[in-house]
Amino acid sequence: MRALVRAAWHIALKDIAIEWRTKTAFASGLVFAVLVLAVLFFSRDPTAVSSQDIAPGALWVTFTFAAMLGLNRAFLLEREMRALDGILLTPVPKAAIFWGKFGANLVFVGTIEAISLPLFVLFYDVPIWIQLGELVLVIAMATIAFVAVGTLLSAMAVRTRYAELMLPLLLLPFLVPPLVGGVQLTARLLEGRPLSDLGGWLRLIGAFDVAFVTLAALLFPVVLDE
Amino acid sequence: MPPSADVVLSAAGIARRFAYRPVLTDVALTLRRGEVLLLVGPNGAGKTTLLRVLSGLLHPSAGHVNRPGAIGMVAHEAMLYPALTARENLRFFARLHGVDGRARVDELLEQVGLASRADDRVGTFSRGMLQRVAIARALLHEPALLLFDEPLSGLDATASRTLVELLQTFRERGTAMIIVSHEMERLGRVATHMARLAAGRLGPVESLAGRNAAAVFADLMRGDL
Amino acid sequence: MTLRDSATRIGRAGMVVTWVALAGLAAVYVRALEYTPVEVNQGAAQKIFYVHVPAAWSALLAISITGLLSMLYLWLKDRRIDLAAAASAEVGVAFATVMLTTGPIWGKPIWGTWWTWDARLTSTLFLFLLFVGYLVMRGVLVDPGVRGRLSAVIGIMGLILVPFIHLTVYMFRTLHPAPIVLKPSAPSLPPVMLVTLMSSLGVFTLLYIGFMMQRYALGLLHEAREEELAHAS
Repeated sequence: MRALVRAAWHIALKDIAIEWRTKTAFASGLVFAVLVLAVLFFSRDPTAVSSQDIAPGALWVTFTFAAMLGLNRAFLLEREMRALDGILLTPVPKAAIFWGKFGANLVFVGTIEAISLPLFVLFYDVPIWIQLGELVLVIAMATIAFVAVGTLLSAMAVRTRYAELMLPLLLLPFLVPPLVGGVQLTARLLEGRPLSDLGGWLRLIGAFDVAFVTLAALLFPVVLDE
Repeated sequence: MPPSADVVLSAAGIARRFAYRPVLTDVALTLRRGEVLLLVGPNGAGKTTLLRVLSGLLHPSAGHVNRPGAIGMVAHEAMLYPALTARENLRFFARLHGVDGRARVDELLEQVGLASRADDRVGTFSRGMLQRVAIARALLHEPALLLFDEPLSGLDATASRTLVELLQTFRERGTAMIIVSHEMERLGRVATHMARLAAGRLGPVESLAGRNAAAVFADLMRGDL
Repeated sequence: MTLRDSATRIGRAGMVVTWVALAGLAAVYVRALEYTPVEVNQGAAQKIFYVHVPAAWSALLAISITGLLSMLYLWLKDRRIDLAAAASAEVGVAFATVMLTTGPIWGKPIWGTWWTWDARLTSTLFLFLLFVGYLVMRGVLVDPGVRGRLSAVIGIMGLILVPFIHLTVYMFRTLHPAPIVLKPSAPSLPPVMLVTLMSSLGVFTLLYIGFMMQRYALGLLHEAREEELAHAS
């Protein structure tokens, strides 16, 4: 068990080090997030739709789409010189590769979210301070959901010739529960509703997290098998 | 009969299919300490597939591989991260092998002659240098068997010479090796045995003791008639 | 028994089942149109209900069976199980298409718009798209081993996704008629309509079985042909 955690840790660190050095996926993800936020703001009739009304949806669309851009990066970097084969030749269990990639992806997506959030507040003029802590919790829970499924599916997509197409195609249906839940919870929290009122949606996302993180970890070795 | 404790690899009945077509059929092989097998054969014969099955990267459709010894592999791709330096790459893989990183990595970089470039990103390396880092990576866990897939391809004369010398040192140390290559002239002196893979089937393994590699090769080719 | 022999036997049996089911379908149409009363609020358009709901049921059945077969495939690694899972997915996509087209046809006279972003239609849309993605992915993978394994992963994930999508439905404010049949308490349809619905459900299940058997047989034939082509060269 400790060997698995240690291996996952090293794999995650390696991914983060590589991304830190090249910054390509991160920069693209960030620029994309800002663009989506801005475009969604301007693609409405301001006399009919207030920015606060579309804010929750805009935020979550931005998060999920920027995440999808970044998720393919995790396995594309393994394919350049077939480094993944190098990992598979070590005694490291395949599950450690999942947890390492999952961790690195969470850091990657989380960082983009952390930078997008202040811009979101700036563009959409939302009262984020009302329940900032609760909002961060909701964002974290939903992010875990789509990063877990996204990590598994990007490992699959990269084995086909059409990775950039296959990942969104396969991933979007799985985004529905955390996305809808995220939008609903964000909207209510920004209205000032307390978290205790919103137990239903929280439990839904929580259950989704448990189910799909487990499932993704269990099924990951199957995807890597040859 | 040599003692079985000497065996570093044994495989029997290996078959492998891809997209419905048989790539390997009924391949059997045993290798002992100190033996260096030169594997020749036409393109598309399945040599790369065989190495991947022997290393464990690929599961055979049938048959079994026994690996009493640890295996290192130097494939056509370097299996490295271009954005990281040679040292960082090796330290990463060393950690995954559970090997104490720093000293061993420095020692291996020295051995393959890359100590001066250890802190340069691997993405800037020439093919010959990549091969050497790849060899260092394969040696991290002190394997009993090394697998090489066309190690001399893409190398100029100097780099080739350096590599063949490295292979000689390994042989002298008693490391078993399987080398897939066309370059019989250069590698004939390193190898102790030769065999030919054609259309997924492995021919007889001929010993090179006291014989000329070219002559053995001609023998193996004749077997095809 | 060779793949071709299995394919022929199962294909023939499947055709019989399909014809019986189609006859049953004709009978259900007659009953629904002539012998079942018109619903007072929605008028004649409501009768699409007897096709729309069973199609949704068959789609759900198909997806569940694909999921279960996927698990079985990862355990037993028999390629015929993978072929069966793929057959079920394809049939499921067909039934989902029926549900997604009858939905708007029903909705237009009742609510005035073709597509209502109502939750149940939307969730079926997403499951439909997931299984279209499953079939697209199968299409680009050449090696049957890789294809089987990756399809099985999607199949299992899709199965577990279904209850989450439905829960999301329940909690999201919706235009869809409140669940009439699958409520915890007794269904609130009058008996004569209930009988029509249940008969239709039975017929659609039979239709699923018939289509599934025929599509599976076709899959076996494809597999047999690929093998023969490979050995010929």
